[in-house]
Amino acid sequence: MYFTGEIRTGTLSRDFERWLAKIRGKEDPYLTIDRSNSRVHYPTDPVFWALKDINFEINQGDVIGLVGENGAGKSTLLKILSRITQPTSGYITGNGRIISLLEIGSGFHPDLTGRQNIYLNGGMLGMRKTEISDQFDDILQFANMEQFIDTPVKRYSSGMYTRLAFSIACHLYSDIIIIDEILAVGDSAFQQSCLEKLKSLSEHEGKTIIMVSHNLENLKKICSREIQLSKGRILC
Amino acid sequence: MKKSVENWTIQSKQPLFELGLKDLFNYRYLIYSMVRRDITALYKQTILGPMWLLVQPVTTTFLFTFVFGSIAGLPSDGVPRPLFYLSGIITWNYFTECLNRTSTVFKDNAVLFGKVYFPRLTVPISIVISLLARLSIQLVLLCVYIFIYYLHGYHLHFFGAILLIPVVILLAALQGMGIGLTISALTIKYRDLSILLGFALQLLMYATPIIYPLSAAPDHIKWLISSNPMTAVIETFRFALFGTGNLDWPMFLQSALTSVLLLITGLFAFQRAEKNFIDHI
Repeated sequence: MYFTGEIRTGTLSRDFERWLAKIRGKEDPYLTIDRSNSRVHYPTDPVFWALKDINFEINQGDVIGLVGENGAGKSTLLKILSRITQPTSGYITGNGRIISLLEIGSGFHPDLTGRQNIYLNGGMLGMRKTEISDQFDDILQFANMEQFIDTPVKRYSSGMYTRLAFSIACHLYSDIIIIDEILAVGDSAFQQSCLEKLKSLSEHEGKTIIMVSHNLENLKKICSREIQLSKGRILC
Repeated sequence: MKKSVENWTIQSKQPLFELGLKDLFNYRYLIYSMVRRDITALYKQTILGPMWLLVQPVTTTFLFTFVFGSIAGLPSDGVPRPLFYLSGIITWNYFTECLNRTSTVFKDNAVLFGKVYFPRLTVPISIVISLLARLSIQLVLLCVYIFIYYLHGYHLHFFGAILLIPVVILLAALQGMGIGLTISALTIKYRDLSILLGFALQLLMYATPIIYPLSAAPDHIKWLISSNPMTAVIETFRFALFGTGNLDWPMFLQSALTSVLLLITGLFAFQRAEKNFIDHI
């Protein structure tokens, strides 16, 4: 659920009214469920549900492709799955460690070298130093950047950023990988090797992959299932 | 590759107070990496590097000695003025840096926090630790100052109270972090408080015995200055180093208690805020 104003509902007095209602145990005056659901009829409504009535199950080893138009709620779903924001209502249960790659190079520090960033990024994904060291050579080899590993990442091209970030996410120990539209940046050869890598991760190592892409061809190649979202609801 | 069986649930309801200490412990390597990053990246592409850490306290001490010592003639409890000011300045700086940097955790890391999940508390903890590294460099500077004065015949008296120094620094860290965390949570939605903060800290400095000793404060406002938890920190620090004044245990314990309360308040506010701040910032 999102508030469309600049600061939540927009004004301090509205916030205050909501707070008063809350401490008196009443309904939020700006939250009427049936109204906020239909976006078309009340364009000025301050409350907006990004996702509504989402129910689905994913099995281990599945490769799920999330598709839908801009603003359908794909990224919000991934954000909730990666614990970046909390759902307003409902719950998700799961098993296993999640690695999510919602944006290229998120968590890279521009002044640190590729090598230092691999360790920093691995740490953010919950790894220990030895776990990262074990995978270090594979990460480097897949990203194909031995030459620039000791260069600060601010000098990298955006393709190099993607390659390194993707390579870290694939090689660090996890059970579920979440990817949001990041493959659009790399060149086609790298895109192909990423798709193959993802496929082999799910087939041989039993990893579950949830990815968003607008490239339907690519999705068809590797996804075992597609979930189509539209205006915050599941179409199929 | 080892397999784990970690069950998790993401839901809208949350327990009132959940620190996630176990989670934090699992992410200790991240804390270590972030401390290292903070220390190494700060002075990249500078010529003087960490020498910059010494410029600020040295010049401020010089200025304070001149303005508050020579012109205003404020007393310094019998301690040579540069030593008196420098000891106050570096402790105070550590406190304000902890406070300032933790108070902007959400704002500074909004992009990162919006893209990667890890326990958010790792960031303020790593800030406090990396600032500790900077503090220790400044403490070395203080030792050099003391040594120079010792060579010129300043009588030193070290005794058991010197063991209180780590405790005092810990208290400064807890207070800075506690207040900083609270402010970080309060400024997500309305940012007015962060504008007030710089000004408030400036005023608070004058309510802390940095440019004057507590003994020189007028009797009718002494209670006010003593109730400031940073007063005990700075007074005890100077007592441990120079043996001036006397150690006021009630004031010290009160400050310790306040520090713990500030930290608990801060942690509480922070963990309430971190859950979905990204939608409000």
